[in-house]
Amino acid sequence: MVSTMQKTLLIFQKEWLELRQQRGLLLSALFLPALLTLLPVVMITGARFLPQQQQDLDELGGLIAANTTLQGMSLPELGQAVAGLIGSSIFTLTPLLLPSILAAYSIVGEKANRTLEPILASPIKTWELLLGKSLASIAPSVVITWGCAVFFAIAVRTVALSPRVAQAIISPGWVALIVLCTPLMALITTAGMIIISSRVNDPRTAQQYSAVGVLPLMLLVFGQLGGLLVLNVGVALLAALALALLAALVTWLAVQLFQREVILTRWR
Amino acid sequence: MHAIEIEQLTRVFDGRTAVENLSLQLAPGTVFGFLGPNGAGKTTTVRMLTALIAPTSGSATVAGHQLGREDTQIRAAVGVLTETPGMYDRLSARQNLVFFGRLYDLSAARAAQQTERYLRMLGLWERRDDIVGGFSKGMRQKLAIARALLHEPSIIFLDEPTAGLDPEAAKIVRDFVRELRAEGRTIFLTTHNLSEADELCDLIGVFRTRLLRLNTAAKLRAELFGQGTQVQLAEDATRWRELVAALPFAQGVSAQGHTLTVQLAAPDQQNPALIQALCAAGAPICYVEPLKYSLEDVYLQLIGDG
Repeated sequence: MVSTMQKTLLIFQKEWLELRQQRGLLLSALFLPALLTLLPVVMITGARFLPQQQQDLDELGGLIAANTTLQGMSLPELGQAVAGLIGSSIFTLTPLLLPSILAAYSIVGEKANRTLEPILASPIKTWELLLGKSLASIAPSVVITWGCAVFFAIAVRTVALSPRVAQAIISPGWVALIVLCTPLMALITTAGMIIISSRVNDPRTAQQYSAVGVLPLMLLVFGQLGGLLVLNVGVALLAALALALLAALVTWLAVQLFQREVILTRWR
Repeated sequence: MHAIEIEQLTRVFDGRTAVENLSLQLAPGTVFGFLGPNGAGKTTTVRMLTALIAPTSGSATVAGHQLGREDTQIRAAVGVLTETPGMYDRLSARQNLVFFGRLYDLSAARAAQQTERYLRMLGLWERRDDIVGGFSKGMRQKLAIARALLHEPSIIFLDEPTAGLDPEAAKIVRDFVRELRAEGRTIFLTTHNLSEADELCDLIGVFRTRLLRLNTAAKLRAELFGQGTQVQLAEDATRWRELVAALPFAQGVSAQGHTLTVQLAAPDQQNPALIQALCAAGAPICYVEPLKYSLEDVYLQLIGDG
């Protein structure tokens, strides 16, 4: 008898075997986090070479007033810190976009290839299948995001003009956000992809739907720049709480849709 | 105990009845041909019996397990060849089968052993490490059949097993079904290929939302068209029609060209008297043969009436 855990791992293993065969997908799945990690580092590095003017300082008055870590910085430091805040916010797209690529091919791809029915005809429980598929998209997304975050933090420390610039970018709030929210964002994206799968037959179309999730992250970027939002531990905890509630809701919806009967009779 | 026992099984989708009061009992080892036009509810029936979707009402026992209460056990006990092969194109033939074998609770060693057995049996062993994406339709179908058998189920549901296959591949599949029958497995065969059903099935069910008729192919022919004899003459058959019609056992006579068709209740007993009467009157008989109706005639008659 194959245990529940073994069946879940079997699905996980099969997903990885398939992914290994899809070089294009694998490359895009690796390229995206690399881009979202290196781009902010390039922005921060480049900011030290840009000419800074007093006018820029005046425009950033709101941001400096709200974010105390920026106060007392020189103009070049400030330039780097602002570039870093934008870059670190862009980095948070990683746990959103990466699982959307993996889950789209794992679930919508399976539906498009008509391989779901033979699996559903086997004695696997639907939650074992769902868990295996979700793990195959969430686990690598979380590991890659955290790995890139560590690389990003080291790179920022290396290219920052001073330790306080690095501390402003890699703030406790940002670390808390990455640690707490990455798994939740990956879970929400994967569950969302299951919901989308019930209506969509093409993995690329499914991915396009997931782009809606980028909008709240844009609020994070512009909120910080406008001085309306300072990403501290409290904000990160609040964000994690909100995401946890959203994750619970989206997962519940996904579980309702991911039933044998529903997949075979309602999915289009 | 029956392999499959269905009682008043019904499935309604949003007010539309797909399957209505289906009752059926299949003895172990039966090859059952489930025939019907597209949209008749055949796939819905198979999905219900394989515990993929629930019936709206009615009950069924499959391999001794109660539908709705022991669904996981039913899925573990039966093998299913779905309408489309549904194999993972990027995995090899062996990886596909081992994966499904493990899903059917086989140990890793047993899954590997069964994979080798069926790949060899279906002539795919040499291609075991090739990715399925490069396989022909026939090879994929054979692989899907192997998948349905890995866990050695006693009941197998085959949905259109030879659809779209070239004659050679179709023959291999049919021969394989015969082997499964010889092993005593119960086969629930859905097909549009009526000569295939005639050739392979012990029992035929003609279905369109409800079961229109259930019997052996021979009895269905007799029920619908009766039995009889065709006499081929060397001249116009019309002039011998009256003579035969006057025979007390002839239930109906028709003449067309040189052929005289006689409906008989018991041809085996009545043919000697029929031939004797024609010979005595000097009819130039070329040859005599039983009246033949194909399963297609039966099917079209029933579907037309239904």
